[in-house]
Amino acid sequence: MAHPTDVSTTALAGLRADLRAWLAVNRPADWRACATHAEFAASQRDWFRKLVEAGYAIPHWPAEWPGGGRSLAEQKVIYEELARADAPRLLLSFVSTYHAFATLHECGNAEQKARYLPGILRGETWCQGFSEPGAGSDLAAVRTRAERRGDVYAVNGQKVWSTMAQYADRCLLLARTASEGAKQAGLTYFLLDMTAPGVTVRPIHQIQGDEEFAEIFLDNVEIPVTERIGAEGDGWAVAQATLSSERGLTLMELGYRMRGALDRLAALIGETGRTGDAGVQRDFGALTGQVDAVCALADQFLDRRMTGQEQVGDASVVKNAYSRALRAYAALGVRLGGIAAQRREPITYGDLNSGNWMADFMNSYAWTIAGGSEEIQRNIIAERMLGMPREPKGWTAP
Amino acid sequence: MMISREELRDSARKGLGSDGLAPDPVASWDRLVDMGWFALAVPEELGGLGLGAEALAAVHVELGRALVPGAAIAQMAAIEVLCAAPDFADRAALIPAAVAGERIGLSLDAPGRPATGCVIDADQVRQLLLVSPQRIALAPVLGATMVPTWDETRRLGDVAIGAETVIAAGDAARGLYDLATTRVLLALAADAVGGAAAALAMTVDYLKTRRQFDRPLALFQALKHRVADCQIALVAAEALLWSRAAAPLTVAMAGALKARATTMFRDVAEEAVQLHGGIGLTAEHPCHLFLKRAFLDAALAGDADHWNAVAGQSALALVQPAS
Ligand SMILES: Cc1cc2nc3c(=O)[nH]c(=O)nc-3n(C[C@H](O)[C@H](O)[C@H](O)COP(=O)(O)OP(=O)(O)OC[C@H]3O[C@@H](n4cnc5c(N)ncnc54)[C@H](O)[C@@H]3O)c2cc1C
Repeated sequence: MAHPTDVSTTALAGLRADLRAWLAVNRPADWRACATHAEFAASQRDWFRKLVEAGYAIPHWPAEWPGGGRSLAEQKVIYEELARADAPRLLLSFVSTYHAFATLHECGNAEQKARYLPGILRGETWCQGFSEPGAGSDLAAVRTRAERRGDVYAVNGQKVWSTMAQYADRCLLLARTASEGAKQAGLTYFLLDMTAPGVTVRPIHQIQGDEEFAEIFLDNVEIPVTERIGAEGDGWAVAQATLSSERGLTLMELGYRMRGALDRLAALIGETGRTGDAGVQRDFGALTGQVDAVCALADQFLDRRMTGQEQVGDASVVKNAYSRALRAYAALGVRLGGIAAQRREPITYGDLNSGNWMADFMNSYAWTIAGGSEEIQRNIIAERMLGMPREPKGWTAP
Repeated sequence: MMISREELRDSARKGLGSDGLAPDPVASWDRLVDMGWFALAVPEELGGLGLGAEALAAVHVELGRALVPGAAIAQMAAIEVLCAAPDFADRAALIPAAVAGERIGLSLDAPGRPATGCVIDADQVRQLLLVSPQRIALAPVLGATMVPTWDETRRLGDVAIGAETVIAAGDAARGLYDLATTRVLLALAADAVGGAAAALAMTVDYLKTRRQFDRPLALFQALKHRVADCQIALVAAEALLWSRAAAPLTVAMAGALKARATTMFRDVAEEAVQLHGGIGLTAEHPCHLFLKRAFLDAALAGDADHWNAVAGQSALALVQPAS
């Protein structure tokens, strides 16, 4: 299936041709075949290193970084070609190159940037330690305590659902330094060394057979004061920088990847002999339109962000449009796959294109629940974009 | 029927109640035998309870509710087919053995697929019932290749079989094919209704107890509406189930019921995971067991695409063409 592209200049065509040639040689062919979690991590590290060396890993970073400073049009070409080549997504370095980068870039001091950003390119991985058993959608309810003791903070508490924490070298940590006043005002942001004494990580066994996220237990962990981002009490604002990173660029990458992955669905329609089935034609046509709209939306969103015209709620619209399309994509694959799609495959880690439709379906919950659930995004759209009144704050049991 | 739906439900819940969700497969099978459920549809003159479709549905609703593993759907349908085949001499010995738990397999693959695939507990099945509109036969099972599925409560496999003994051909075969097919579809619909009811109850409980923003999640009207929508779909599917179980069923009607009920179960299970948040994606929590069973129910014995098309064609055929 051919996809419309926006190649308008020879430079873009050149980038596309170079990347395509490079991918033909370098794309890992067997990435879906990893039999163990360790193998998966190793293959991810290897793929990231290759992309960094070739200058394709961080097109969204500023120009002072090798491989950075790419225009939006160039970034699109890169994501399209990676998707078209069926290259693995950078799941292990996702938090490092998006969340950690955005947080350090926007809120870190010069010393912190100099210390950590080069490490990311060398393959140091980060995880995000925000959520807790009692603080999911209500992130401001974080209870992990950080107490100042001279030059360090002593941290105690528990984090949960932290993606790839079991492989992470460092963690973006949100903790409570004060319990008085508004819940948000008592939060502070830290950079945690995952090898520090008192840090225990327990991977969580997930429904699709993977162990993608983990619990982190913090028992009197000492974090130097120099590893604090922003001032005490600035944690909520810094956390917004972390969270918004994943709602913008990421979605452009994912939108283009999904458009590429429609080929996989088209192939399934052929294999199951349903190319002439009018019902399937309609559903596939509707999905194609839905995915194209996500790509258009992501483009528009990034244009607006880059030109300073982003409005509150824009990111929530893109995120929900993507998560709905992703669910529809996987659901159509499961439906067409019939009983064959109900076969369990060993661990996949394939995200939206694992090669197993049920695994894709289950993975799609990552986008409807994580990073602010679909329901929370709807609240943001209704309350802050459309100006409807907020839910009353306090509630006491009658 | 002599025993009411409610009585069956209560005895089923008593029998299964203490075993929890997705109980042990071996113990479950023994329990089904002990409760006499394989004799449910066996006529009284053959030593059974002589109950009909409604009883069958009532039992499968409870098996679905508790996510009971195993091949009860195939076993019960196979037993009914044998009971309805008076010319088949071997049945005198086969029926009591099957009622006592000796396994007879039956493919739950989509219509038109090979009759040796998609057999639940294939590696424990002694005989396979081969069902097609032209011919009903029985064959010894020589071996099985298991296929791992997402639904951990059903173990599927392909079987290799020996020489076939024909049970019925021609019109008689057609009647038995319709019986087997409608029973399997009705049982899957019942399983879906039971599974959805349990998944929804679990979700409602969770929303009442889980607190975020200093209040139970159940206080958010957006979430109340989500579970209310699930309830509407569930109650409607259940009403259709009992209405279909109470009257003679065509294959098209049973197929439409199965499509509706299993689609509803899938939707409810999908919502259950979403409304549980992160915990719903962990293997320790039962949410995923419902999700996976719902998807398998939707795929077994013909999916909604197949049965909705059959139902649509059969409904349109009744309409007089405009002259
Ligand atoms: C795949 C995955 C990866 C993740 N990775 C990370 C990570 O790396 N780091 C990290 O810190 N966290 C991570 N998370 C956690 C994620 O941010 C939380 O799961 C999410 O915020 C929801 O919180 P919860 O699971 O506690 O669900 P809850 O907040 O308990 O929500 C349960 C249900 O109630 C709904 N709900 C809650 N509040 C409202 C409301 N006000 N109005 C309407 N509906 C509401 C929710 O939408 C949801 O459907 C990840 C989660 C997933 C699923």
